[in-house]
Amino acid sequence: MDALAISGLVKQYRKGPEALKGVDLTVGKGEFFGLLGPNGAGKSTMIHCITGLAVPTAGEIKVFGKDAVKQYQQARQAVGLSPQEVMSLDWFLTVEETLDYHGGYYGMPRQRRERRIKELLKAFSLEDKRKASVRALSGGMRRRLVIARALMHKPKLLILDEPTAGVDVELRLELWHYMKRVNRAGTTILLTTHYIEEAEQLASRIALINQGQIVEQGTVRELKRKFKKKTLEDVYLSVVGREELGRNGAKAGVASKPGTAGAFK
Amino acid sequence: MSAWQTRFGLGFRREFTRYWSIKRQTILTPLLETYLYISVFGAALGSRVGELEGVPYITFILPGLVMMAFALNAFENNASSLFQQRFMRAIEDQLASPLHNLELLGAYTLGGFVRGAIIAGVTLFTAGFLVGLPVADPLLLLWSFASIGLFFALFGVLVGVFAEAFDNISLYRSFVLQPLIFIGGVFYSAELLPEPWQTVAHFNPVFYMINSVRHGFLGYSDVNPYLSLGVVTGGVLVLFAVVYWIFRKGYKLRF
Repeated sequence: MDALAISGLVKQYRKGPEALKGVDLTVGKGEFFGLLGPNGAGKSTMIHCITGLAVPTAGEIKVFGKDAVKQYQQARQAVGLSPQEVMSLDWFLTVEETLDYHGGYYGMPRQRRERRIKELLKAFSLEDKRKASVRALSGGMRRRLVIARALMHKPKLLILDEPTAGVDVELRLELWHYMKRVNRAGTTILLTTHYIEEAEQLASRIALINQGQIVEQGTVRELKRKFKKKTLEDVYLSVVGREELGRNGAKAGVASKPGTAGAFK
Repeated sequence: MSAWQTRFGLGFRREFTRYWSIKRQTILTPLLETYLYISVFGAALGSRVGELEGVPYITFILPGLVMMAFALNAFENNASSLFQQRFMRAIEDQLASPLHNLELLGAYTLGGFVRGAIIAGVTLFTAGFLVGLPVADPLLLLWSFASIGLFFALFGVLVGVFAEAFDNISLYRSFVLQPLIFIGGVFYSAELLPEPWQTVAHFNPVFYMINSVRHGFLGYSDVNPYLSLGVVTGGVLVLFAVVYWIFRKGYKLRF
């Protein structure tokens, strides 16, 4: 059974654009799957539809065989979401309460929550911040807490929406190690990122999304071969229609000619 | 404890933790406000008014003041809490979880209900002790308080869902709720009003709320107390149906 099976997913916002235009995507159990695309491509909308934060207009989403709309409780039980926005933590709560209440929403009994909180605080180096208010945490600590919270109920599918955006190199590498470890332990991961090297380093398979559609998917090698490019970055630029920004384009001097249609289209 | 009890219980606890962590603002300030009403209108003005419908003026207005404290705090808690959670997007942690829509709505409603009940309870206990408030119909009184608390807690949730800015909430409080409560007869009996205002008062739902509570305490009401109870209970059911439908549809909560 696939961890995630999306077919014909359409999302039309009220008074807004059609953010997803019939997306089909499958993520296998245990996979580390990367979703790459520019801003506004539909990555977050897709994640919102999977987790129930957005209501799909059409199509079907199945999480470990459970329909994300009709069987939303079972489907959401299997998913852990680390949102892009760390400010979305509840500022009235402490670090411990944030994890504890999250576990409660997933029906975890008290003793299991207590054990899990201990494990996660240790794993994310937040032990001495246990009683600290979320307001008092630094940006890096909030990022750690958001990921720890997503892992609180031991989800089978972990969704990481740009988890390393705005963090320093040290924390980014630390988080990479942790994500790899979680994946090796059997958790399926769906990662969205702007960092090409992050997707290349972590994901076993990658899908490229642009303007609400999955343009291509496969392993890094498959994608390079298909697009006849040397790097994943060039594949990405080709997909988003900005090849002039690539290494070859820069060498040819295209990007260094401001004012030309090629440089700033 | 079953899974739904844990989910609902923790949902409620989060709400309780939120307002308890700022209790000077959420508990002590409204208590002080209620005591000010009691001292100014009850003690100061009451000594001049004397009796109303056979009871001292302060005793006459106390049921309405307790109801007002319950109603306004249940409303304000839920309206501001839900708006804040939406505004900060902290509600997404709950919306992406397996919390059933009914559990989520129940947790918010109970949160506001309990805050209103704490303030009304403390006011009632202390003022009742000082003034000596009778209880004429305890069952009707309990039902009335439960319905009124639920009505305003649900109304708070509704406003919290629709509010686009913080001032929307104070606008509802100042321009809708407080006028309805004041002209609903907290400080006087509707029988004292000239026509057509006496008839107009019957179209104000808060008029029935005040009368059911007043009947529960004093055994006096401007209308049949069971009609009042029916109106309030009916209001709760209608409001619940509307808010639950909104939660199910995800309107303004989900993208």
